[in-house]
Amino acid sequence: MRDVDVLVVGAGPAGGVAAAEAKRAAKNLDVLVIERDRAVGAPVRCAEGVGDAGLREFAAPEGADWWSRKITKVIFWAPDDTEVKVAERDVGWVLDRTRFDAHLAGEAVREGAELRVGTEATGMTRGSDGRWAVRLRSAKGEETVRARVVIGADGVETMVGRWAGLDTRVPARDMESCAQYVVSGIDCDPDAIYLQFGDGIAPGGYAWVFPKGVGVANVGLGMVGLKSDGRNARAYLDAWVDRRYPRGARTGYTVGGVIVHTTIRKTYTDGVLIAGDAAHMINPLSGGGIVNAMKAGRLAGQTAATAVCAGDTGERRLSAYHDAWMNLLGDDHLKYYKIKQALEDLDDGFFNALARTVNKIPEEKRSLGRIFVHALVKHPQLIPVAARFFV
Amino acid sequence: MPAARSPSARAHRPPGPTDVAVVDLGVCDRCGLCLPLCPPEAIHLLGPDLLVDRDTCTGCWKCIAPCPVGALSMIALVPGAAGAAA
Repeated sequence: MRDVDVLVVGAGPAGGVAAAEAKRAAKNLDVLVIERDRAVGAPVRCAEGVGDAGLREFAAPEGADWWSRKITKVIFWAPDDTEVKVAERDVGWVLDRTRFDAHLAGEAVREGAELRVGTEATGMTRGSDGRWAVRLRSAKGEETVRARVVIGADGVETMVGRWAGLDTRVPARDMESCAQYVVSGIDCDPDAIYLQFGDGIAPGGYAWVFPKGVGVANVGLGMVGLKSDGRNARAYLDAWVDRRYPRGARTGYTVGGVIVHTTIRKTYTDGVLIAGDAAHMINPLSGGGIVNAMKAGRLAGQTAATAVCAGDTGERRLSAYHDAWMNLLGDDHLKYYKIKQALEDLDDGFFNALARTVNKIPEEKRSLGRIFVHALVKHPQLIPVAARFFV
Repeated sequence: MPAARSPSARAHRPPGPTDVAVVDLGVCDRCGLCLPLCPPEAIHLLGPDLLVDRDTCTGCWKCIAPCPVGALSMIALVPGAAGAAA
């Protein structure tokens, strides 16, 4: 049986960063990362949008091959198609996740971690010595690896959390069901991301256009299944793309779930840390999770390494990871979740009226803060939203 | 194939016909969205298969509407009936 210090399950943004950080924190540790799929980063189950500042904490985009477009504008479409442009400068990037995730995993390998693709964890049990015996399966057969700390970075379907006895379940109202096409031959500003709200378009969520290049974009939506009129996410998307881009070529599609909840109550137990989507570390308002996953991965890798070095991987010590995450972003997500709940009470008519109010603000002065202040004055329905946020 | 039932399943399920989730593997994209939605954690993703443990499934329907491609559906399972949930 192979023994490792840290086993990272999943080579997405959380797992890649966790492995690299564990090695940076303690060079002598034996760190193994496993990825179920045969290639890191594929299949892409993501709209691939990421904020500029968050990304730069982990990777410099200049000259890199792992992004598709730099984004400098945000355009909202109200349910009635009223267009609202928000002037921002360095908004963010649309990544190429197949290359970006591989870049992060490559960094981990350069730091000395071992990466195995096409390798799936199928179960784990904790031995009397405190180490976890994790069963792995690959084309080469089955084997068991024993680890002092297991980092579960295994995404929305996390099994590591489940095996470790942590509650990773999510209420159906807090699950966004997403579908996305790559559509080419379309007319859209390649420097802008577009977002559209509307009960008939994406109930409980929004639809998006994230450009991958000139005339090609990730076109998708996320909606809450419980609010559906009986159609599934892909059917909603088909209707939206038919209307917006009837002549576009749908060259690929993907589906998946985005958890718009708050961080799971407990992200750690003896010898286990859960990071990224697996721990519901997603911004519940935007549905964004890439930077959050990397931030959590960094904390998890560092916490695991120092725990192994100290010879104590018990849950009391590992709880420092949870506290650090909640201070960094988890507590903010609790506030965003309250806003999300308040926004659920507002209907299409409200958003159409809000769009017209915002368009009266000169475009160059349309910062999100100013929009919010204007909106509060003109639309008193928003006051409970603000109250829930600040209370 | 007869519907296999364990004694423990009978303990948490009322007697009589019960709904159980089934997955159409020809439609399922293995995205994993349904796993954390399942209150008794009856859905598993293993290799190329999405499995619903019909002894654990309580027929609550929470996984049905959120499936982005409509791969999950409910069928009535009659305890002991051959092929009831095939």
